[in-house]
Amino acid sequence: MKNYILLIFFVLNFGFVVNAQEWTVPAEEAEKVSPYIFEDDFVTDGEILYENSCTSCHGTPTENNFMPFSPPPGDPASEQFQSQPDGALFYKIQKGRGIMPVFENILAEEEIWSLIAYFRSFNKEYVQPEFDYGDEVLSELKFDLDFDENIDKLVVKVFSDGEVEEGIDVSAFVVGMFGKFPLGKTKTNELGLAYLDVDPSLPGDKQGNLDILVRVRKGYAIEKATTSMKIAEPAQQTSLIEGRHLWSTGDKAPVWLLVTFLLIVVGIWGVILYIIFGLFRLKKIG
Amino acid sequence: MAGIHKSEVTISQSGKMEHDLLRTVNWNGRFKLWMGFLSLLLLVCLYFYYLQLRDGLSVTGMHDIVSWGIYISNFVFFIAVSLIGMLISSVLGMIGYKWIKPISRIAEIIAVAFALVAGLVIITDMGRPDRLQHLVMYGRIQSPIVWDITIVITYVVLSLLLLYLPLIPDIALCNKKLTGLPAFQRRLYKILSLGWADKPGQFKVIKRYFRILLIMIIPVALAIHTVTSWLFAMTLRPGWDSPIFGPYFVSGAFVAGCAAVIIAMYFFQKNYKLQEYITNRHFDLMGKLLVLVSLVYVYFNINEIIVPAYKFKPFEVEHIGNLFYGHDSALFWMVQTGGLIIPFLLLMIPKMRKPLPITIISVVILVAAWFKRYLIVVPTQLTPYYPIQNVPERYHSYTPTIAEIAITVASFVLVLMIITILSKLFPIIPVWEMKEENENQKQ
Ligand code: HEC
Repeated sequence: MKNYILLIFFVLNFGFVVNAQEWTVPAEEAEKVSPYIFEDDFVTDGEILYENSCTSCHGTPTENNFMPFSPPPGDPASEQFQSQPDGALFYKIQKGRGIMPVFENILAEEEIWSLIAYFRSFNKEYVQPEFDYGDEVLSELKFDLDFDENIDKLVVKVFSDGEVEEGIDVSAFVVGMFGKFPLGKTKTNELGLAYLDVDPSLPGDKQGNLDILVRVRKGYAIEKATTSMKIAEPAQQTSLIEGRHLWSTGDKAPVWLLVTFLLIVVGIWGVILYIIFGLFRLKKIG
Repeated sequence: MAGIHKSEVTISQSGKMEHDLLRTVNWNGRFKLWMGFLSLLLLVCLYFYYLQLRDGLSVTGMHDIVSWGIYISNFVFFIAVSLIGMLISSVLGMIGYKWIKPISRIAEIIAVAFALVAGLVIITDMGRPDRLQHLVMYGRIQSPIVWDITIVITYVVLSLLLLYLPLIPDIALCNKKLTGLPAFQRRLYKILSLGWADKPGQFKVIKRYFRILLIMIIPVALAIHTVTSWLFAMTLRPGWDSPIFGPYFVSGAFVAGCAAVIIAMYFFQKNYKLQEYITNRHFDLMGKLLVLVSLVYVYFNINEIIVPAYKFKPFEVEHIGNLFYGHDSALFWMVQTGGLIIPFLLLMIPKMRKPLPITIISVVILVAAWFKRYLIVVPTQLTPYYPIQNVPERYHSYTPTIAEIAITVASFVLVLMIITILSKLFPIIPVWEMKEENENQKQ
């Protein structure tokens, strides 16, 4: 009985707290949809961003291990997030409230959409609403890649509808086994060229090849491609247990250890055997 | 006239000594009763070992976090006690102390028994003892475990030789003097005496070999316990990660060993009526030796604690806190004060070095020494660098099971059986060495 009262009390109280702190989003903001397609690459961008800027409070999605703030930040994979339209999430990330920081001036719109793409990747039922591009004409983007060995820079030449143009966003990544390593983000100059630094000591494969993902964006138009380029040091792949070490396999024991061990064992057992054989000759001694 | 008289006295004296010392070699009723009791106990314990063979180590209290329990603690304890053979016969003997003569064989028998069974104790800690040979086939020479096995085997053989060599003349003597021996015993004596005929040349050879062994056993004994300590110290763990673990173990070993010898001395003196040979003076001197080695051990104990405690490294602090005022503190303080400090303070009082008091103190020291090994082995594993998480509740502590305790008891039973049989099969006090000693004193 007592438990019932407690429970009722708790539920009432809970409702009160939630109601009191309802975070309302203006209707027109909530209707906003993403002009970017939520594809794998985009989700990965969001994941990297999330881990850098959001995990500390929101925890790992699906694990419900967010910080115990009031109101609670919530788990992005949870119903609390997934039941909201994209536009509402977009608005809340931009504007912030209380402990939730304002990201408007920190993250570009594209980046915020990538975060939402990441959140939606936990929701199997989600279907991305279509963006109405209206009469906006998407430019056709193309680019060429080159590596300038003298200055260790990746050179990207971008054509928008066949013409070079200044101010087109260019970003590049090295594609690794578990993720993307950003080389940088820049804009084309008046010659349509964008330069990105490449650390020459980056480990490539045996030939020094790296998979480079380049993405260019103008307005809502995005073009990207992954190219294998020979721009890194050929990697010398040596196994940690190659050679004679204390931590190597038994047949690769360090020589000093083998010698010391065997000398000691042979020395002591030599004497032991000498004595044992000597004892058997005891009888003959007069 | 006087000359003849004197030699008659010598003969009758050495005759009495021979009689006294050979008297203990027999299979009397009390021996049979005692052995019967031990065998029964052993059988019960072996049943538990059968269970362990059948079901694996799951019958023990060990688990992922504490994978070394009382088996390994016990192993360390056994190796520790067995070092005493080296200290008494070798170090003290070669310095030239004569008083150790009547107790040196006791020390060597203890060394042999504990070292032999220590080897078996390692095997009980293996879930698949049928794969013992894998150690030779696949062992890495870089691993302290391989060094340990090598040195344990070497030390057992050396200890056996050290016990056996001075026994040869006595075995021949037993064969000559004792009557009414069972046939198997006669054959054993005959084989083991290796055709000994008390010839001066034979004595010369034996003495030379014995000297070689005495010298060689010192580094080997130091090595065996140092390597045992390295099993721990070579791993990166709070409480084990210590450069003084070798000497710390060796000095602790002498404390445990001295106590074990004193207990055995008391037992043999009383039961075998050897008051004339194992005298109050021997107890007094062993008491002083025990004080000395305890002091060294206390010194290392202080170092073991104060150096990491002063630096206050996070995980060391947790470990030391656990010993000082945490989960294991009651045991820790009992062992350190009750089993080490108070006993050695008491032993500085001459009256306490009389046979009975010193024996009681030694029993306390020996029991504490066993628990000390437990405190070295187990608590460290409960404060790992990785947090203990996502494991069953029982992994957060360690309690030995009945099976584990029984198997450990079995190891003690085996030690007692070996000591009993050896002390009944051979004179417990070296006869020819005592006679020689007697002669030397006369001249
Ligand atoms: C300093 C801690 C903190 C950080 C960092 C943080 N948040 Fe929040 N977030 C909160 C809190 C607290 C709330 C709840 C705010 C409220 O309801 O008043 C919240 C709420 C939200 C909401 C709305 C949830 C809802 O239930 O409506 C979204 C969406 C969100 N955060 C996304 C993000 C994203 C994306 C990032 C990283 C770019 C981020 N947050 C970083 C603390 C944080």
